[in-house]
Amino acid sequence: MPERRHLLLASPHRYPDLARLWYRAVRRDLLPALEGAGFADIQVQIFRDGHADEFDPSWFPGVTLQAPGPGARDFVEFYDAALQASGGYLFLLDADLFFLDGAWPVSYLGEFERPEVAAVSYLRRGALPGVYALLCRSADYQALPQPVFAASYEGLEAWPKAVNRGPGERAALALRERGKEIAEAADPEAHLADFHGTTVLRASREIFGGAIGERRFEELVGEKRYFAMGAYDNLLLGTLYEAVFGEPFAVLPGDAGTHLAGSLPAAGLARALAQVEDPGRRSALLAYFRRSDEAIARLAAREGIALALPRVIPESWREAA
Amino acid sequence: MTPDPVILQAGEFYHKERFGPETVNRGAVLLECEWDGGAFESGVMLGGLFRNGEFRGGTFWGGVFWEGQWQGGTWESGFDREGRYRPRTDVPDYA
Repeated sequence: MPERRHLLLASPHRYPDLARLWYRAVRRDLLPALEGAGFADIQVQIFRDGHADEFDPSWFPGVTLQAPGPGARDFVEFYDAALQASGGYLFLLDADLFFLDGAWPVSYLGEFERPEVAAVSYLRRGALPGVYALLCRSADYQALPQPVFAASYEGLEAWPKAVNRGPGERAALALRERGKEIAEAADPEAHLADFHGTTVLRASREIFGGAIGERRFEELVGEKRYFAMGAYDNLLLGTLYEAVFGEPFAVLPGDAGTHLAGSLPAAGLARALAQVEDPGRRSALLAYFRRSDEAIARLAAREGIALALPRVIPESWREAA
Repeated sequence: MTPDPVILQAGEFYHKERFGPETVNRGAVLLECEWDGGAFESGVMLGGLFRNGEFRGGTFWGGVFWEGQWQGGTWESGFDREGRYRPRTDVPDYA
């Protein structure tokens, strides 16, 4: 049980619709469990990294909506601003990550009884724990050199073989040097609905999709595995969003409200995937899509919805698998 | 003999390519490319390495700004030559 019970839950978001779906799950599945575990004073901060005026406050009751400014010019700097503003504990949670089971994160709070434990990481996507779902003992992180969570490059003189450290990874190394530990929760796939690249894909569409044109953007999704993952996951999240709220997801400003126009609509994604010829890439994407299908089904089940998912994966992929 | 300038135009997209001092970007999107000595007038540099040149306009997003002159444009995010992250608007002092 934490010795201090103040908690700041902080999450950066670029798109208000995803934030709306995310916060609905946080309120339902995470906050009550944390409150029940003794965090009596939980604050939630959403950092609006873009589209700040499109975040309808009525969608986010009890949340402090923040916008870029001095000390938090973008979402990466926001992580450090949140750390400095936090009291006992800081919970950083990614925009496309959903806890399905509040008992699971709570079951790891006992880790903090060991003084050497600085954080619990509920999801690691690389070699080191990042900031995807990281519950930190604030004092341990505040003792690190600032900026604590910033991304970095090492060995740039060896470009392109430089090492890129994502947000939070350098902090993980610094903690280890100080004899501190980040406890890692087991079996995250069973307890999280984890989607990848959804914001990157939408931001790419927003920043340069118009410049290169619809067809080239589609081709790019077929060429870049991470873009295909983001487009597929947006399709799933958009389907759920439409079912829950009865409104389109990922619309483009100035567009007529076309569902997924700000990502890649189902027909475009189907065309993009049909271009993929490499069997290894197909196999990797198919495995990822199946994992995402399970994630969205479990998230939909929490909503009491049985989703019918659009079919965009070429039949030949399934037959080959 | 000076090589003829190579003009990159809006609507063009390049991935993991290198552009030398003869290049002028007027709207192309460059993903994970290396820019070495040309004039970046508009377009998007997404990731990659700005080894040298003039950044006059366009968007710099997530790349490394090693050396060169920053004359205008939008710094969305990136890294300086020490590998430090530079958030939105925080153009390296040496640029």
